[in-house]
Amino acid sequence: MKKHILSIDDEAEICGILQTVLTMEGYRVSIAGSAEDARRIVQSDPPDLIILDQQLEDTDGLTLAEEIRTTLPTMPILLLTGLIFTADVIHKISSNNVSSYLPKTSKLDTICNEVKRLLGDSDHHQ
Amino acid sequence: MKINIVKVVFVAFGVMLVLMGVVAVIAVTTIRRSVATSDWVNHTHAVMLETAAILACLHAGEASLRNFILTTNKQDQTAYRGYFNEMREHLEVAKALTRQEPESRKRIMRIEELVGKRIDLAREVVRARELQDEDVARKRLQDDAGNILLAEINLVAKELADEQKELLRERDKASFLKAQATRWTVWSGLGLNILLLAFLGWMIRDDIAARRKAETALEEANLILEEKVQERTAELVKVNESLKKENLERQWSEQALDHQLRHSDLIINLIDEHLIIISKSINISRVNPAVVHTTGYDLPELVGNTMFKILDIPESSSGDATSALRFVQAVKEGREIQGRRGSLLCKNGSVIPVRFNMVPLRDQNTVVGSVLTVHLCHEIQQEKGGTRNLIHHFAE
Repeated sequence: MKKHILSIDDEAEICGILQTVLTMEGYRVSIAGSAEDARRIVQSDPPDLIILDQQLEDTDGLTLAEEIRTTLPTMPILLLTGLIFTADVIHKISSNNVSSYLPKTSKLDTICNEVKRLLGDSDHHQ
Repeated sequence: MKINIVKVVFVAFGVMLVLMGVVAVIAVTTIRRSVATSDWVNHTHAVMLETAAILACLHAGEASLRNFILTTNKQDQTAYRGYFNEMREHLEVAKALTRQEPESRKRIMRIEELVGKRIDLAREVVRARELQDEDVARKRLQDDAGNILLAEINLVAKELADEQKELLRERDKASFLKAQATRWTVWSGLGLNILLLAFLGWMIRDDIAARRKAETALEEANLILEEKVQERTAELVKVNESLKKENLERQWSEQALDHQLRHSDLIINLIDEHLIIISKSINISRVNPAVVHTTGYDLPELVGNTMFKILDIPESSSGDATSALRFVQAVKEGREIQGRRGSLLCKNGSVIPVRFNMVPLRDQNTVVGSVLTVHLCHEIQQEKGGTRNLIHHFAE
C-alpha cells in the first residue's frame, strides 16, 4: 500500500510540482491550500508525513504543526519555507514540533531524499 | 548460388516424363516386334508342317498305290488318289506360305517337280495294271525309279526343314536379344526415374529443412528485436522520466526563486527608510516606494538616471576636491560612508535635508554598485539653486 503524504502550501504551483514528483516516486499525495483544508484531510485520511509551508493564508506553518502534534504526535513533519532561517533557529522556535526543515530553494531531489529518510523508506533512500 | 527448388522439381519431372515416354515407345515397338516374330514363328512352323504333310501324304499315297497294284482293290485306289490330292493341296499351301521366301519357295517348287514325276510314274503303273498287265506293272514297280525320286524328295524336304529350323533359331536368338535389350531399357528407365524421384525427395526435404531453419532464425531474430525494442522502450521511459524530473526541478526552482523574490520585494517595499541602489556609474538601478513617495518622481523617471538627480551632496569644508567627486570615488572603490549629510531633491522643487549611509553592493566579491539608506532631517532646508548646478556638472 502506498504511503500517504499531505502537502500544505497556499501556492498551488508549489503543491502541484510536489504532488507530481512524489507520485512519480511511488507515494500517494494529497494537497491542501490552507490550514482549514489541512485539518479536514488530517481528520479524514491521516497521512504518513506532512510537508508544510511556513507561510499560509490563515495561519503559519509552525502554529499548524503545533496543532497537528496534539493529534498525531509521532507523525513526521517537514517544514519548507522561503524565509531565511537556519536549522538551529527552526529547531529552537518549533519546540520539536517539526521533524525536519528545508529551504524552498532546495532541489527536488534533496526534498525527496528527506521525505524518504523521514518515512524510513529504505528502498527509495540512497 | 541459390538453387530454385521449384525449377529443379519441374525440370526433374520433365526428364521423368521424357524417360517414361521413351520407355513406352520402346515397349510398344518391342511388343509389335514380338507379335511379328510370333507370326513369323507360326509361319515357319506352318511351312514345316506343310512339308511334313506333303511327305506323309506322299508316303501314304505310295503305300496305297502299291496295295492297289497288287490287289486292284478299289479302296486302295481311292485311298492313294485321296492322299495324292491331299498332297497337292499341301503343296499349294506350302507354295503360298513361301511366296515371299525365294529359297524356301525354290525348294518347294523342286519338291513339286519331283512329286509331279512320281505321280507320272504312278499313272503309268496304274495304267499298266488297268490293262491287266500285272507283270509289267510289277516290273515297273520293281524298277521304280520312284525310290530315287522319293529319296530326293525326302532330301529336299529335310533341307527345307533344316533351313526353316536354322532361320527359326536365328530369329529366336535375335528376338531374345531384342527382348533382353527392351528389358534393360525398361528397367534402366524405371531405375532412372526412381533415382530422379529420390533426388527430388532429397531436394525437397533439404529445402523444407532450410525453410524451417530460416523460419527458426527469423523467429529468433524477432525475439531479439522484440527484446531490443523493450530495452529501448525502457530506456526511453527512463529518459522521459528523467526529463520530466528535470523539468519539474526547473519549475520548482523558478517557483522557489519567484517566491523568494516576491518575499524580498515585499520586505524592501515595506521599509520606511529610503533605499537607493546605484551602479558604479552612479546611476539609479532601484529605489524603494518610500523614495518615490517622498521625491514625487515616478519610478521610470528615476531608474537609469544619475543619483544626483534626487540626492545633493554639499561641499566639505576642506575644499581640495568636491564632495560629489569623493563620493564617486568611494563608490568605485567599494568604500563605506556613514552619516553623511545631503539633500533630497523633490520633483516639485522642494529640498529635504537628509543623512545617508552608503555600503558597497558586492556580487561574489566584485563591487557592482552601492546601497544608500537615506534618513530625512526635517530641520535642515536649503535652496535648490546650487544643487541644480551640481547635477549639470555630473551630467557632463
